Amino acid sequence: MLYRVIDSNELPALVDAFMNDYEVIAPVKSGQSYAFEAVTDFNDICLNYTTTITPPKKYLLPPHEVLFRFNAEENEVVDYMLEVTPRVLFGLHACDINALNSLDCVFRDKQFPDPYYEARRDATMIIGLSCTPTDACFCNLMDADEARTGYDLFLQDIGDRYLVSIGSVEAANILESACNPREATDEDRIAFRHMTRTRQASFNPAIPDIQEVPMLMDAFHSDPFWEELGGRCLACTACSSVCPTCYCFDIQDVLDHDGVSGQRERVWDACTSPQFAEVTGGHNFRADGRNRVRHRMYHKLNGFLAKYDRMLCVGCGRCVYACKAHISPIEVFKFFEQKGM
Amino acid sequence: MKTSMNTTAAPKKKLAVFGLASCFGCQLQITNMEPHLLEVLDQVELSYWQLTSSQPKPNDYDIAVIEGAVTTQEAQELVKEIRQTASVVIAIGACAVTGGIPGLAAPRFDERVEEVYSSTCPQACGSLQAPVPVSAVVPVDFEVRCCPIDPRDFVSVLERVLQGSNRSISTATLCGECKRNERGCFWGRGIMCLGLVTRSGCSARCPSLGRPCNGCAGLSKDANTASAKVIATEWGIDPARFEEALEMFNQQSMEDNCG
Repeated sequence: MLYRVIDSNELPALVDAFMNDYEVIAPVKSGQSYAFEAVTDFNDICLNYTTTITPPKKYLLPPHEVLFRFNAEENEVVDYMLEVTPRVLFGLHACDINALNSLDCVFRDKQFPDPYYEARRDATMIIGLSCTPTDACFCNLMDADEARTGYDLFLQDIGDRYLVSIGSVEAANILESACNPREATDEDRIAFRHMTRTRQASFNPAIPDIQEVPMLMDAFHSDPFWEELGGRCLACTACSSVCPTCYCFDIQDVLDHDGVSGQRERVWDACTSPQFAEVTGGHNFRADGRNRVRHRMYHKLNGFLAKYDRMLCVGCGRCVYACKAHISPIEVFKFFEQKGM
Repeated sequence: MKTSMNTTAAPKKKLAVFGLASCFGCQLQITNMEPHLLEVLDQVELSYWQLTSSQPKPNDYDIAVIEGAVTTQEAQELVKEIRQTASVVIAIGACAVTGGIPGLAAPRFDERVEEVYSSTCPQACGSLQAPVPVSAVVPVDFEVRCCPIDPRDFVSVLERVLQGSNRSISTATLCGECKRNERGCFWGRGIMCLGLVTRSGCSARCPSLGRPCNGCAGLSKDANTASAKVIATEWGIDPARFEEALEMFNQQSMEDNCG
């Protein structure tokens, strides 16, 4: 990894340089919280944002997208739809970068890559930004508090300057042209270590650090805890709307008014939606909150790991805020703690 | 597939629109979709619609669209007759789907009639009875929810009827859709919002415009009202107030869902 240092007051020039060739997406104020939105002015960017209501996933896997148009009478695809906007996702925290890396595992599968996702991912530059944990953050427990790959630049705030980790030539060239990056000194490295230690010491100590979570998930699969947790699920799917790693989708055909032509659409789906596991004939494999919530937690904390060797949950804490019924992985960890694990 | 999709050659389905106890706003919403109205209506033969034509009610039609709650014995008989005539019944708007605003009068109905009309109710009112949604009288095949309806939802349902569809209808409650608008949560600001238990499908339009959900889409059959009342209490709102707010659009469906 190559490291350079830029002064904080050089950041606007860097963002401006991105804006020349890309649509820049960055965290901005939205009500009392923050959201990733397209920005055209550096001053709109909230560099010290805590977390956003929804993750940047929407730019790679849109909530609603048209895959292709078809003619139903001819039973033929008539036009593929793929709109790709070259983008810079600016200011992503480590959890969100790790989340995109998990989505890559799924959508950039070597055997069955998703062409829509891939095209967007290839046209997207990721600029990471260091952060301070909120009370709901537990990325440290999910091995997601540092982004080791998956970014073009990562900006570590070390006071009045940034230690920049460089992940791509393309971004390095822009950094080089827009700023005056210099070699990191021992002083910079000490400041980096100091900031890292400060972050590591800032996580909410009330969130239990449980070892062997995947094994415990298997051990307690039939525990009454799941009835207690899932029994209060509102079936609203807010959890997956705000989750940076939920990637389930539904495919729907929508006919035009003429009933002949139409389009195939992909929309987000959620395993906490009552109909998610309903099949033809009407049987629902997960007909209640207990089964749906348990399934969700297993995928996040157990199932994905078995296949991809990484936890699907990145500990971003968004569902902690979004779920008004207090259903989140933290509750699962607390349950394990109560069990003396 | 080729033959079933060939709608152009088949005779058009006859469509009849009926208005019961309502403000007629949902029927008006259909006329509001001017850019597509003719295109949409071209798919059917419009055989009856009092709002737009003085043609008398025909004896046969294939698709019946019913707006409004059933509030009289006459309306109840009409709805039964519609069910026997039409092969497809679509209920549109909160009044037809949940009892809606007329449904508010259902509890202590006889007392309320007397409060308004004293001892003698005018003949023009018909034989009044406690308001109920259409589905309380006859089976309903399709619903277009909300107060008023979104005309695009109506078109979507009509096309589902005419062409079939592989789209699953979600009974998830609203918060998931609302989060996608990224406008923050009313509960976090101590404001009561009924999205916790209300059927999704409206894209959380009111919350996105700065107004909490008042539940016009009706309770989801999967609503967890007990959990929602616990949440209300946590945010300092009396669960009785929460229940009272739900009554506006759920007077007639409360029993099924609130247990």
